[in-house]
Amino acid sequence: MLFTSYRFLLFFTSLFVLYWIFGRKSVKVQNGLLLVFSYLFYGIAEWRMLPLLIVATIVFYWLGIKIDKSNNIHSRKIFTHIGVLLGIGVLLYFKYFNFFIESFAYFFDTIGIHTNIHTFNILMPLGVSYFTFKLISYVLEVERWKMEATKNFVDFAVYVSFFPTIMAGPIDRPNKFIPQLQSPRVFSIESGIDGGQQIIWGLFKKVLIADNLSPIIDGVWENMSNYSGSTLVFALFLYTIQMYADFSGYSDMAIGVSKLLGIRIAKNFNYPFFATNIKEFWQRWHISLTGWLTDYVFTPLHIRFRDLGNFGMILAIIINMVLVGMWHGANWTYAVFGLYQGLLFIPIILKGKMHKKQKLQTTILGLPKFVDICKMFGVVCLYAIGIILFRAENLGQSWEMIRGICNLSIFSLPQILTHKVQWLLSVFFILVITEWYNRDREYAIQPLSYSLKSIIPYILIDYILLFFVIFKGNVGANSFIYFQF
Amino acid sequence: MEKNQILAEVQEIFREVLDNEEIVLANETNADDIEEWDSLTHIQLIVAIEKHFKIKFTSLEILSWKNVGEMIDCIKSKI
Repeated sequence: MLFTSYRFLLFFTSLFVLYWIFGRKSVKVQNGLLLVFSYLFYGIAEWRMLPLLIVATIVFYWLGIKIDKSNNIHSRKIFTHIGVLLGIGVLLYFKYFNFFIESFAYFFDTIGIHTNIHTFNILMPLGVSYFTFKLISYVLEVERWKMEATKNFVDFAVYVSFFPTIMAGPIDRPNKFIPQLQSPRVFSIESGIDGGQQIIWGLFKKVLIADNLSPIIDGVWENMSNYSGSTLVFALFLYTIQMYADFSGYSDMAIGVSKLLGIRIAKNFNYPFFATNIKEFWQRWHISLTGWLTDYVFTPLHIRFRDLGNFGMILAIIINMVLVGMWHGANWTYAVFGLYQGLLFIPIILKGKMHKKQKLQTTILGLPKFVDICKMFGVVCLYAIGIILFRAENLGQSWEMIRGICNLSIFSLPQILTHKVQWLLSVFFILVITEWYNRDREYAIQPLSYSLKSIIPYILIDYILLFFVIFKGNVGANSFIYFQF
Repeated sequence: MEKNQILAEVQEIFREVLDNEEIVLANETNADDIEEWDSLTHIQLIVAIEKHFKIKFTSLEILSWKNVGEMIDCIKSKI
């Protein structure tokens, strides 16, 4: 059930009414409703995997209590390791098992040993990459004394299965999410407007920009040999824009929906196109994933390698970024994508700029300085190059893309520069400018105050955005890029 | 060594590593209170503290401190 579907509108409206009428003053009713609707949401999408989700929730709930009650470090560690291994095990089995089998078979074939290994027909549970990370995060936070294990099963089950985030994140942290479930949420006009506004902004990015670009870019990737080098390069930039509009649009909708239920969830994007180096870019792009890996992979590795100086940091960041890549799916293209991103950090580390926080200065018009615009564009170019790996079905297709780009046709005009694409690029340009001037806000059209007078301009903006969504948006599109991960 | 003295020495290390002479540490201080103190500079601070006091922390100790006070307690238990 997509946020952009009428089915979801009906589903959410029913919950919204019940939640704020019957659950107004009762934590139990509110959390009970959230759990029932979350399981319903998951069950509608994939009922066969609902038992897995419930069993995993029960096991990790029990593990949390065991870790918390452990009197010595040793048993604390054992229960935590069980949790981490179980979480990784579920992820590896469902997401990577066939990939490992195929890779082993290929490896043995290349060294002349013929194998007769078959892959299995494994159904990947929806959102498995997201809910296993939540489960692992929970046992680690309890182990590190950052939170007490929750004694309320419903609270924990809502944390794991919360419907706005179960399919594609953001990946919430238990110590930020669970405490919100412990007191009744009170509806306020402010958070209602704020949530609604963020949903409209997300809808605009997703339905108007991402979904209109999607068929154009798909067409290029499917028939690469028919297009000039310049068209392929142009498609890489368009896909970067599509990814941002799709995933940040989805995230805005998930955050907005949660706000309407009085719950604050993790942020996922912080204007990544304004980053002036790749390190900053990854601190602004898919924040809930990169933050998770920073806390549970990069930092522990960095601590372990701390006596190796810069080399230790480089090693930690490369392992971390390869995992960021591999998280996206069982394909070597993602691993190489991660490796490429990790290598881009090396000059920053060697220059000693990892610790430096860049503060942007602006010109009289409030725009960034020319040199910073060049840096921002440079970062987008580096990311777009990575798309060659990220989007390709295999390394062979990436290579085909590179060959397609590296010839004289790169000096021609892109073949897909149609009126529609030009129009979409203009819309994107307006979006970037709006984001730049409002970059201190959580999202670009967040109201600063909620008095009637200050809300009126926002209502007008909403009308315009919704007009474009309805009349110009690709409403029939039915997927989000990040659902597949 | 008394906790106050450890705190004073740790404060000096913070000022040097984070290149900010205005840093004043208290037991309750945490990373939210000092702009330059993030997950990366944290490791630099730890390396400097370990070198200064000639001690070694475990990973779990480093990851579980909630504020400077807990770090000082940990240092005190090792010297």
